[in-house]
Amino acid sequence: MLVKLKDVYKIYSEGLESEVRALDGVSLEIERGEFVAVVGQSGSGKSTMMNVLGCLDIPTHGEYYLDGTDVRELSDKELSHIRNKQIGFIFQQYNLIQNLNVLENVELPLIYQGINADDRREMALEALERVGLSSRIKHRPSEMSGGQQQRVAIARAISTHPPIIMADEPTGALDSHTGKEVLGFLQQLNKEGSTVILITHDNGIAATARRCVRLADGKIVEDRLQEVDWL
Amino acid sequence: MNIRQAMKMAFKSILGNKGRSFLTMLGIIIGIASVMTIVSTINGMNKRSLEQMEAMGTNRITVSVYLYNGQNAFEEMYDYCNSLGSKLVQGVTPTGNCSATVVYGSKSSAAMEKNQQNMFNGDGTQNSNVALPPSLYYGSDQYGVCNNFQIASGRELSNIDIKNYNQVCVLGARAARNFFDYADPIGKELQVNGLPFTVVGVYAEKDPDSQWSMDNIIVFPYSVSRLLSPGTQMNDFVVKAANAQASVEVSSRLSGFLTGLTNNGKSGSGYVDNSNQWQQNINEQATMMSLVLGGIAAISLLVGGIGIMNIMLVTVTERTREIGIRRAIGAERASIVTQFLIEAAMLCGIGGLVGMVLGTIGTRVAGSLLVHMDIWPSLSITVGAFLLSVTLGIAFGIYPAAKASKLQPVEALRAE
Repeated sequence: MLVKLKDVYKIYSEGLESEVRALDGVSLEIERGEFVAVVGQSGSGKSTMMNVLGCLDIPTHGEYYLDGTDVRELSDKELSHIRNKQIGFIFQQYNLIQNLNVLENVELPLIYQGINADDRREMALEALERVGLSSRIKHRPSEMSGGQQQRVAIARAISTHPPIIMADEPTGALDSHTGKEVLGFLQQLNKEGSTVILITHDNGIAATARRCVRLADGKIVEDRLQEVDWL
Repeated sequence: MNIRQAMKMAFKSILGNKGRSFLTMLGIIIGIASVMTIVSTINGMNKRSLEQMEAMGTNRITVSVYLYNGQNAFEEMYDYCNSLGSKLVQGVTPTGNCSATVVYGSKSSAAMEKNQQNMFNGDGTQNSNVALPPSLYYGSDQYGVCNNFQIASGRELSNIDIKNYNQVCVLGARAARNFFDYADPIGKELQVNGLPFTVVGVYAEKDPDSQWSMDNIIVFPYSVSRLLSPGTQMNDFVVKAANAQASVEVSSRLSGFLTGLTNNGKSGSGYVDNSNQWQQNINEQATMMSLVLGGIAAISLLVGGIGIMNIMLVTVTERTREIGIRRAIGAERASIVTQFLIEAAMLCGIGGLVGMVLGTIGTRVAGSLLVHMDIWPSLSITVGAFLLSVTLGIAFGIYPAAKASKLQPVEALRAE
């Protein structure tokens, strides 16, 4: 089991009147190689779910095992290492660093891994080639279209060859055509063996995943396999 | 992440915001430049004073005695000085100023006096070609020994000159040049207050750079004071002690003798002055001045450092999202701390380098305008200034860097 959430709660202002249960007793298991869409309206807790799954946030209660490791036991430094090596993030707002060029952005996670300059460049170029951007490595993010920026973000996510790709509304800021391109990439990565977790509010986008987990008010209300809408 | 990577990143981020980076550095630049200028200038002045003291000679004790009843203490004091013996004393000379007009051919000390008004050019710089009037001194055959002069040509005054009231003199190198240009002065006759004096020797040059130099002198046998300065007493002596230790001994003995001679100050007055003490005083004064003025300038450095901290805090707030991204893709807290610390240190380091250049220029300008000296900042001050600025950067970068690293990835990613 790659991901195992057991009775996970994420509660803000616990015990106060303003208490918010973003995750309210969630249990979920994801196998290696799955393509899971986590669907829900805004406020359903899906972003919190993504933060917890991505080791960006620690659950208030409950257990989270990632590849057998109890995440709650880990130090901040070890969490950093997990995010660095196990997870590739793709965000709605691309989250590229503006004063670095395309190549430097893609190299960044490799820098934090301590990989030497030559290997780093090679790995980054390989990732950029896969997203079809190897000719624009010196451009700044601000000089590129949204679709291209998201492809840079994908290259950054896959440059370290992480087992898990985590995409939070990856098409939210894109038009439908480039959105499809991005989703096609995710399907392609999944075919090649990556576990993909896709967070979205859009049922149409969720339809690109084999498995669909629906959240409402911090609880899982539906977890089913579905026909895949291949792109 | 290694340091080189971090430095590259820091450099990029500084370049990415050139205007603000420069304004931030300004405090450090001004601070470093002023500390350097002040400390270097004082050090230069101090070094110059010490060099002059050194040229005048170390272990040199000046003695002065004057009796109220009009009696002349000259013989008694001179005899006592000579009685101290060669283990303690290398030489003794009576000394005194002589005011007289010296003429050789068309050159006269009276004309040279007028030159003093032409010393400075219209723009405040010195006119180094002007000949200034020489200082005239009385001395014994040991005048050179006591005042650290070496004979360059001819001979020193002799005992016989003194005994026989010989009308002879020895010239300092600059006085020789002022009166004789490059001709050999030995054997030539100067008219001093209308009396003929033969030049018997010329001293080697000690201080080639200055016009008010100790080389612009003429020394007469002290016995001829009755011709040139009739009715005046010789009250002053210079005693050259054998070494630093002896100078302490000699000083204390002379003080004791002086106390007896003047009946503990009741029947006369005088002083014993050890030049070594002066050197020490000059050093102490210079150190004090460096500390006080340097300290004031250091306050501007402190203000500059606070400016750096301020801007780094703004930077952290502005780049919260960037920090979130970096944390999300795997940066440890330590990497974030390193990044911001290095950025602060680099800001200060670059500021320090610019400050060093300005400080060097400032030292040169202050040296030539304020104290008319050719001063370069010493290597230790230069390197020290640079290290100080980098240290400041790190010290004032710690708080912002710590703040940046404490941001939670989730919170930071949410920032706009």
